[in-house]
Amino acid sequence: MPVQQTPARYGSVAQTLHWVIVGLLIVQFTLASIADDLPNGLEKLITLARHKSVGITILSLAILRLCWRLVERPPPLPPMSRWQAVAARISHAALYTLLFAMPLTGWMMSSASNYPVSWFGLVQLPDLVAPDPALKRLLHEVHETLSKILIAFAGLHVAGALKHQFLDRDGLMFRMLPWRPR
Amino acid sequence: MAPSLTLRAALALLACLACTAAKAEAWQADQNSGTLDFVATQAGARFQGHFREFAVRLDFDSLLPANARLDVTITMRSADTADADRDEVLHGADFFSVAQFPRAEYHAAGFKRDGKAWVASGMLTLRGVTKPLIVRFELEPSSSELRMKGSSTVQRLEFGVGQGEWASTAWIGNPVDVDFDLRLRPATVAASP
Repeated sequence: MPVQQTPARYGSVAQTLHWVIVGLLIVQFTLASIADDLPNGLEKLITLARHKSVGITILSLAILRLCWRLVERPPPLPPMSRWQAVAARISHAALYTLLFAMPLTGWMMSSASNYPVSWFGLVQLPDLVAPDPALKRLLHEVHETLSKILIAFAGLHVAGALKHQFLDRDGLMFRMLPWRPR
Repeated sequence: MAPSLTLRAALALLACLACTAAKAEAWQADQNSGTLDFVATQAGARFQGHFREFAVRLDFDSLLPANARLDVTITMRSADTADADRDEVLHGADFFSVAQFPRAEYHAAGFKRDGKAWVASGMLTLRGVTKPLIVRFELEPSSSELRMKGSSTVQRLEFGVGQGEWASTAWIGNPVDVDFDLRLRPATVAASP
Protein backbone atom coordinates (compact mmCIF):
# COMPACT_ATOMS: atom_id res chain seq x y z
CA MET A 1 0.00 0.00 0.00
CA PRO A 2 1.35 3.46 -0.90
CA VAL A 3 1.94 5.63 2.16
CA GLN A 4 0.35 8.60 0.60
CA GLN A 5 -2.48 8.03 -1.75
CA THR A 6 -2.82 10.48 -4.59
CA PRO A 7 -6.49 11.35 -4.56
CA ALA A 8 -8.52 11.81 -7.72
CA ARG A 9 -9.01 15.46 -8.58
CA TYR A 10 -11.58 17.74 -10.04
CA GLY A 11 -11.44 18.19 -13.81
CA SER A 12 -10.13 21.34 -15.43
CA VAL A 13 -13.63 22.82 -15.94
CA ALA A 14 -14.62 22.44 -12.29
CA GLN A 15 -11.22 23.74 -11.17
CA THR A 16 -11.37 26.78 -13.46
CA LEU A 17 -14.88 27.63 -12.26
CA HIS A 18 -13.82 27.23 -8.63
CA TRP A 19 -10.81 29.53 -8.87
CA VAL A 20 -12.42 32.14 -11.12
CA ILE A 21 -15.30 32.41 -8.62
CA VAL A 22 -12.78 32.73 -5.75
CA GLY A 23 -11.09 35.60 -7.60
CA LEU A 24 -14.41 37.31 -8.38
CA LEU A 25 -15.57 36.96 -4.76
CA ILE A 26 -12.45 38.82 -3.63
CA VAL A 27 -13.25 41.53 -6.22
CA GLN A 28 -16.84 41.65 -4.88
CA PHE A 29 -15.88 42.14 -1.26
CA THR A 30 -13.34 44.80 -2.28
CA LEU A 31 -15.86 46.73 -4.41
CA ALA A 32 -18.53 46.49 -1.69
CA SER A 33 -16.22 47.86 1.00
CA ILE A 34 -15.04 50.66 -1.31
CA ALA A 35 -18.66 51.59 -2.10
CA ASP A 36 -19.63 51.56 1.60
CA ASP A 37 -17.02 54.23 2.34
CA LEU A 38 -17.89 56.47 -0.61
CA PRO A 39 -20.23 59.46 -0.32
CA ASN A 40 -23.29 59.63 -2.55
CA GLY A 41 -21.92 60.42 -5.99
CA LEU A 42 -20.77 59.23 -9.37
CA GLU A 43 -17.88 57.18 -8.01
CA LYS A 44 -20.23 55.25 -5.74
CA LEU A 45 -22.62 54.70 -8.64
CA ILE A 46 -19.80 53.34 -10.81
CA THR A 47 -18.41 51.12 -8.03
CA LEU A 48 -21.83 49.65 -7.32
CA ALA A 49 -22.56 49.18 -11.03
CA ARG A 50 -19.35 47.11 -11.31
CA HIS A 51 -20.23 45.22 -8.13
CA LYS A 52 -23.58 44.30 -9.71
CA SER A 53 -22.00 43.26 -13.02
CA VAL A 54 -19.48 41.03 -11.23
CA GLY A 55 -22.29 39.64 -9.06
CA ILE A 56 -24.32 38.66 -12.12
CA THR A 57 -21.17 37.06 -13.55
CA ILE A 58 -20.75 35.01 -10.37
CA LEU A 59 -24.41 33.99 -10.50
CA SER A 60 -23.99 32.79 -14.10
CA LEU A 61 -20.80 30.89 -13.23
CA ALA A 62 -22.51 29.34 -10.18
CA ILE A 63 -25.33 28.06 -12.42
CA LEU A 64 -22.75 26.68 -14.85
CA ARG A 65 -20.83 25.10 -12.01
CA LEU A 66 -23.87 23.41 -10.51
CA CYS A 67 -24.81 22.03 -13.94
CA TRP A 68 -21.27 20.83 -14.50
CA ARG A 69 -21.29 19.09 -11.12
CA LEU A 70 -24.19 16.97 -12.37
CA VAL A 71 -22.22 16.05 -15.51
CA GLU A 72 -18.90 15.39 -13.82
CA ARG A 73 -19.30 14.13 -10.27
CA PRO A 74 -16.76 15.43 -7.71
CA PRO A 75 -13.91 13.01 -6.92
CA PRO A 76 -14.36 11.02 -3.71
CA LEU A 77 -13.06 12.48 -0.47
CA PRO A 78 -9.92 10.93 1.03
CA PRO A 79 -10.60 8.67 4.02
CA MET A 80 -11.85 10.68 6.97
CA SER A 81 -14.14 10.31 9.91
CA ARG A 82 -17.85 10.41 9.37
CA TRP A 83 -18.41 13.76 11.11
CA GLN A 84 -15.71 15.32 8.96
CA ALA A 85 -17.34 14.05 5.77
CA VAL A 86 -20.73 15.36 6.97
CA ALA A 87 -19.22 18.73 7.91
CA ALA A 88 -17.59 19.00 4.48
CA ARG A 89 -20.90 18.21 2.81
CA ILE A 90 -22.78 20.80 4.85
CA SER A 91 -20.21 23.53 4.24
CA HIS A 92 -20.11 22.80 0.51
CA ALA A 93 -23.91 22.95 0.35
CA ALA A 94 -23.85 26.23 2.29
CA LEU A 95 -21.24 27.72 -0.05
CA TYR A 96 -23.26 26.75 -3.11
CA THR A 97 -26.43 28.18 -1.56
CA LEU A 98 -24.62 31.44 -0.81
CA LEU A 99 -23.22 31.64 -4.35
CA PHE A 100 -26.84 31.90 -5.47
CA ALA A 101 -28.32 33.79 -2.52
CA MET A 102 -25.75 36.59 -2.54
CA PRO A 103 -26.25 37.76 -6.14
CA LEU A 104 -30.01 37.15 -6.02
CA THR A 105 -30.55 39.25 -2.88
CA GLY A 106 -28.26 41.92 -4.38
CA TRP A 107 -30.25 41.93 -7.60
CA MET A 108 -33.55 42.11 -5.66
CA MET A 109 -32.15 44.93 -3.55
CA SER A 110 -31.17 46.85 -6.67
CA SER A 111 -34.65 46.34 -8.15
CA ALA A 112 -36.28 47.42 -4.87
CA SER A 113 -34.30 50.66 -4.93
CA ASN A 114 -35.31 51.31 -8.57
CA TYR A 115 -31.79 50.80 -9.90
CA PRO A 116 -32.34 48.20 -12.63
CA VAL A 117 -29.28 45.98 -13.03
CA SER A 118 -27.21 46.07 -16.17
CA TRP A 119 -24.45 43.58 -16.95
CA PHE A 120 -21.46 45.79 -17.77
CA GLY A 121 -23.74 48.21 -19.62
CA LEU A 122 -24.42 45.58 -22.28
CA VAL A 123 -27.65 43.92 -21.16
CA GLN A 124 -30.33 45.29 -18.89
CA LEU A 125 -31.76 42.59 -16.64
CA PRO A 126 -35.42 42.45 -15.65
CA ASP A 127 -36.44 43.75 -12.23
CA LEU A 128 -37.10 41.02 -9.67
CA VAL A 129 -39.31 43.18 -7.43
CA ALA A 130 -41.06 46.53 -7.71
CA PRO A 131 -39.42 49.65 -6.24
CA ASP A 132 -40.00 49.68 -2.49
CA PRO A 133 -37.71 51.60 -0.08
CA ALA A 134 -38.70 49.49 2.96
CA LEU A 135 -38.02 46.24 1.12
CA LYS A 136 -34.72 47.69 -0.07
CA ARG A 137 -33.61 48.34 3.52
CA LEU A 138 -34.57 44.80 4.52
CA LEU A 139 -32.74 43.28 1.55
CA HIS A 140 -29.68 45.39 2.32
CA GLU A 141 -29.59 43.82 5.80
CA VAL A 142 -30.07 40.33 4.37
CA HIS A 143 -27.39 40.84 1.70
CA GLU A 144 -24.91 42.10 4.29
CA THR A 145 -25.69 39.33 6.77
CA LEU A 146 -25.30 36.70 4.05
CA SER A 147 -21.92 38.19 3.13
CA LYS A 148 -20.77 37.65 6.73
CA ILE A 149 -22.06 34.07 6.66
CA LEU A 150 -20.20 33.58 3.36
CA ILE A 151 -16.97 34.82 4.93
CA ALA A 152 -17.49 32.40 7.85
CA PHE A 153 -18.09 29.38 5.58
CA ALA A 154 -15.27 30.36 3.21
CA GLY A 155 -12.96 30.62 6.24
CA LEU A 156 -14.09 27.19 7.44
CA HIS A 157 -13.58 25.80 3.92
CA VAL A 158 -10.01 27.16 3.72
CA ALA A 159 -9.22 26.06 7.28
CA GLY A 160 -10.45 22.54 6.48
CA ALA A 161 -8.37 22.37 3.30
CA LEU A 162 -5.26 23.59 5.13
CA LYS A 163 -5.81 21.13 7.99
CA HIS A 164 -6.00 18.23 5.52
CA GLN A 165 -2.95 19.48 3.68
CA PHE A 166 -0.63 20.22 6.56
CA LEU A 167 -1.90 18.20 9.53
CA ASP A 168 -3.49 15.13 7.98
CA ARG A 169 -1.17 15.28 4.96
CA ASP A 170 -3.76 13.37 2.92
CA GLY A 171 -3.25 15.47 -0.23
CA LEU A 172 -6.90 16.60 -0.26
CA MET A 173 -6.02 20.08 -1.50
CA PHE A 174 -4.55 18.67 -4.74
CA ARG A 175 -8.09 17.71 -5.73
CA MET A 176 -8.62 21.38 -6.58
CA LEU A 177 -5.10 22.29 -7.79
CA PRO A 178 -3.76 21.99 -11.31
CA TRP A 179 -0.36 20.61 -10.29
CA ARG A 180 0.49 17.20 -8.86
CA PRO A 181 1.84 16.59 -5.39
CA ARG A 182 5.58 16.11 -5.18
CA MET B 1 -76.07 87.95 -59.83
CA ALA B 2 -76.75 86.03 -56.61
CA PRO B 3 -73.76 84.83 -54.63
CA SER B 4 -72.60 81.43 -55.84
CA LEU B 5 -73.20 78.36 -53.77
CA THR B 6 -69.45 78.06 -53.15
CA LEU B 7 -69.21 81.54 -51.75
CA ARG B 8 -72.20 80.99 -49.51
CA ALA B 9 -70.74 77.74 -48.25
CA ALA B 10 -67.43 79.45 -47.62
CA LEU B 11 -69.12 82.21 -45.64
CA ALA B 12 -71.07 79.70 -43.62
CA LEU B 13 -67.87 77.80 -42.84
CA LEU B 14 -66.13 81.01 -41.84
CA ALA B 15 -68.96 81.93 -39.53
CA CYS B 16 -68.84 78.50 -38.00
CA LEU B 17 -65.06 78.68 -37.52
CA ALA B 18 -65.39 82.08 -35.90
CA CYS B 19 -67.95 80.81 -33.43
CA THR B 20 -65.92 77.70 -32.56
CA ALA B 21 -62.76 79.77 -32.20
CA ALA B 22 -64.60 82.10 -29.88
CA LYS B 23 -65.26 79.20 -27.52
CA ALA B 24 -61.98 77.33 -28.00
CA GLU B 25 -62.07 74.88 -25.19
CA ALA B 26 -59.80 75.23 -22.19
CA TRP B 27 -58.70 72.09 -20.42
CA GLN B 28 -56.58 71.34 -17.42
CA ALA B 29 -54.90 68.50 -15.59
CA ASP B 30 -52.50 67.96 -12.72
CA GLN B 31 -50.89 65.14 -10.71
CA ASN B 32 -54.34 64.01 -9.55
CA SER B 33 -55.60 63.47 -13.07
CA GLY B 34 -52.57 62.10 -14.84
CA THR B 35 -48.97 61.00 -14.75
CA LEU B 36 -45.79 62.71 -15.84
CA ASP B 37 -42.88 60.26 -15.91
CA PHE B 38 -39.28 60.37 -17.03
CA VAL B 39 -36.99 57.55 -18.04
CA ALA B 40 -33.24 58.06 -17.78
CA THR B 41 -30.26 55.78 -18.29
CA GLN B 42 -27.87 55.05 -15.48
CA ALA B 43 -24.92 52.63 -15.78
CA GLY B 44 -26.49 51.19 -18.91
CA ALA B 45 -29.87 50.55 -17.28
CA ARG B 46 -33.05 52.54 -17.86
CA PHE B 47 -35.00 53.56 -14.78
CA GLN B 48 -38.21 55.49 -14.32
CA GLY B 49 -39.08 58.41 -12.12
CA HIS B 50 -42.09 60.71 -11.95
CA PHE B 51 -43.14 64.19 -10.92
CA ARG B 52 -45.51 64.34 -7.99
CA GLU B 53 -46.60 67.91 -8.72
CA PHE B 54 -47.35 69.56 -12.04
CA ALA B 55 -50.06 71.52 -13.83
CA VAL B 56 -51.13 71.36 -17.46
CA ARG B 57 -53.39 73.75 -19.30
CA LEU B 58 -54.51 73.21 -22.83
CA ASP B 59 -56.49 75.55 -25.09
CA PHE B 60 -57.53 73.51 -28.03
CA ASP B 61 -59.94 73.51 -30.91
CA SER B 62 -59.42 70.76 -33.44
CA LEU B 63 -60.61 73.07 -36.24
CA LEU B 64 -58.05 75.71 -35.35
CA PRO B 65 -54.95 73.84 -34.21
CA ALA B 66 -52.79 76.83 -35.11
CA ASN B 67 -54.46 78.71 -32.23
CA ALA B 68 -53.91 75.95 -29.70
CA ARG B 69 -51.86 76.57 -26.58
CA LEU B 70 -50.15 74.17 -24.21
CA ASP B 71 -48.75 75.39 -20.90
CA VAL B 72 -47.08 73.06 -18.41
CA THR B 73 -45.55 73.89 -15.05
CA ILE B 74 -43.56 71.27 -13.14
CA THR B 75 -42.48 71.54 -9.50
CA MET B 76 -38.94 70.19 -9.71
CA ARG B 77 -38.72 69.30 -6.02
CA SER B 78 -41.45 66.75 -6.69
CA ALA B 79 -39.16 64.64 -8.89
CA ASP B 80 -39.30 61.17 -7.35
CA THR B 81 -37.24 58.12 -8.34
CA ALA B 82 -38.18 55.89 -5.38
CA ASP B 83 -34.68 56.21 -3.90
CA ALA B 84 -33.98 58.92 -1.33
CA ASP B 85 -30.23 59.07 -2.05
CA ARG B 86 -30.73 59.52 -5.77
CA ASP B 87 -33.55 62.05 -5.27
CA GLU B 88 -31.25 64.11 -3.05
CA VAL B 89 -28.64 64.27 -5.83
CA LEU B 90 -31.34 64.94 -8.45
CA HIS B 91 -32.77 67.88 -6.50
CA GLY B 92 -29.29 69.18 -5.67
CA ALA B 93 -27.21 71.88 -7.33
CA ASP B 94 -25.62 69.57 -9.94
CA PHE B 95 -28.94 68.40 -11.39
CA PHE B 96 -32.23 70.27 -11.04
CA SER B 97 -30.93 72.76 -8.48
CA VAL B 98 -34.46 73.11 -7.13
CA ALA B 99 -33.57 75.83 -4.60
CA GLN B 100 -32.52 78.14 -7.41
CA PHE B 101 -34.87 76.85 -10.14
CA PRO B 102 -38.00 75.55 -8.40
CA ARG B 103 -40.05 75.12 -11.56
CA ALA B 104 -39.69 73.93 -15.12
CA GLU B 105 -42.07 75.33 -17.72
CA TYR B 106 -43.15 74.38 -21.19
CA HIS B 107 -45.10 76.67 -23.49
CA ALA B 108 -46.23 75.89 -27.00
CA ALA B 109 -48.52 77.77 -29.35
CA GLY B 110 -50.00 76.08 -32.40
CA PHE B 111 -50.08 72.33 -33.03
CA LYS B 112 -49.41 70.45 -36.25
CA ARG B 113 -50.95 67.19 -37.36
CA ASP B 114 -48.73 64.17 -37.93
CA GLY B 115 -50.87 61.16 -38.74
CA LYS B 116 -52.98 60.48 -35.66
CA ALA B 117 -50.71 62.55 -33.45
CA TRP B 118 -50.38 66.22 -32.72
CA VAL B 119 -46.98 67.88 -32.62
CA ALA B 120 -46.24 70.93 -30.47
CA SER B 121 -43.05 72.88 -31.07
CA GLY B 122 -42.63 74.87 -27.89
CA MET B 123 -40.01 76.13 -25.50
CA LEU B 124 -38.90 74.30 -22.37
CA THR B 125 -37.38 76.23 -19.50
CA LEU B 126 -35.43 73.88 -17.27
CA ARG B 127 -32.77 74.83 -14.73
CA GLY B 128 -32.99 78.39 -16.00
CA VAL B 129 -32.22 77.46 -19.62
CA THR B 130 -34.86 77.92 -22.34
CA LYS B 131 -34.61 75.77 -25.49
CA PRO B 132 -36.99 74.48 -28.13
CA LEU B 133 -38.61 71.13 -27.45
CA ILE B 134 -40.92 69.08 -29.62
CA VAL B 135 -43.72 67.19 -27.86
CA ARG B 136 -45.86 64.57 -29.63
CA PHE B 137 -49.20 63.45 -28.28
CA GLU B 138 -52.58 62.06 -29.13
CA LEU B 139 -55.87 63.51 -28.01
CA GLU B 140 -58.84 61.28 -27.39
CA PRO B 141 -62.02 63.06 -26.43
CA SER B 142 -64.66 61.31 -24.38
CA SER B 143 -67.90 62.61 -22.89
CA SER B 144 -66.39 64.72 -20.13
CA GLU B 145 -62.65 64.29 -20.53
CA LEU B 146 -59.91 64.78 -23.04
CA ARG B 147 -57.21 62.17 -22.81
CA MET B 148 -53.77 63.46 -23.72
CA LYS B 149 -51.04 60.87 -24.04
CA GLY B 150 -47.63 61.51 -25.45
CA SER B 151 -43.93 61.88 -25.02
CA SER B 152 -40.84 63.90 -25.70
CA THR B 153 -37.11 63.50 -25.32
CA VAL B 154 -35.03 66.03 -23.45
CA GLN B 155 -31.26 66.15 -23.90
CA ARG B 156 -30.42 66.87 -20.26
CA LEU B 157 -27.03 68.46 -20.97
CA GLU B 158 -28.61 71.15 -23.20
CA PHE B 159 -30.19 72.44 -20.00
CA GLY B 160 -27.18 71.93 -17.76
CA VAL B 161 -28.84 69.07 -15.89
CA GLY B 162 -25.73 67.22 -14.68
CA GLN B 163 -22.86 69.50 -13.75
CA GLY B 164 -19.23 68.67 -13.09
CA GLU B 165 -18.57 64.93 -13.04
CA TRP B 166 -22.21 64.30 -13.99
CA ALA B 167 -21.77 66.04 -17.35
CA SER B 168 -20.14 62.89 -18.69
CA THR B 169 -22.55 60.62 -20.54
CA ALA B 170 -20.47 57.51 -19.86
CA TRP B 171 -22.58 56.56 -16.81
CA ILE B 172 -25.63 58.84 -17.08
CA GLY B 173 -27.13 59.03 -20.56
CA ASN B 174 -27.89 62.39 -22.14
CA PRO B 175 -31.39 61.69 -23.53
CA VAL B 176 -34.18 61.53 -20.98
CA ASP B 177 -37.57 60.38 -22.21
CA VAL B 178 -40.60 62.15 -20.80
CA ASP B 179 -43.96 60.38 -20.96
CA PHE B 180 -47.31 61.72 -19.94
CA ASP B 181 -50.82 60.39 -19.77
CA LEU B 182 -53.37 62.99 -18.73
CA ARG B 183 -57.11 63.11 -18.30
CA LEU B 184 -57.87 66.73 -19.01
CA ARG B 185 -61.02 68.30 -17.63
CA PRO B 186 -62.64 71.56 -18.62
CA ALA B 187 -60.67 74.38 -17.05
CA THR B 188 -62.33 76.03 -14.09
CA VAL B 189 -59.81 78.76 -13.38
CA ALA B 190 -58.42 81.59 -15.45
CA ALA B 191 -55.62 81.00 -17.89
CA SER B 192 -52.23 80.15 -16.40
CA PRO B 193 -49.61 82.93 -16.30
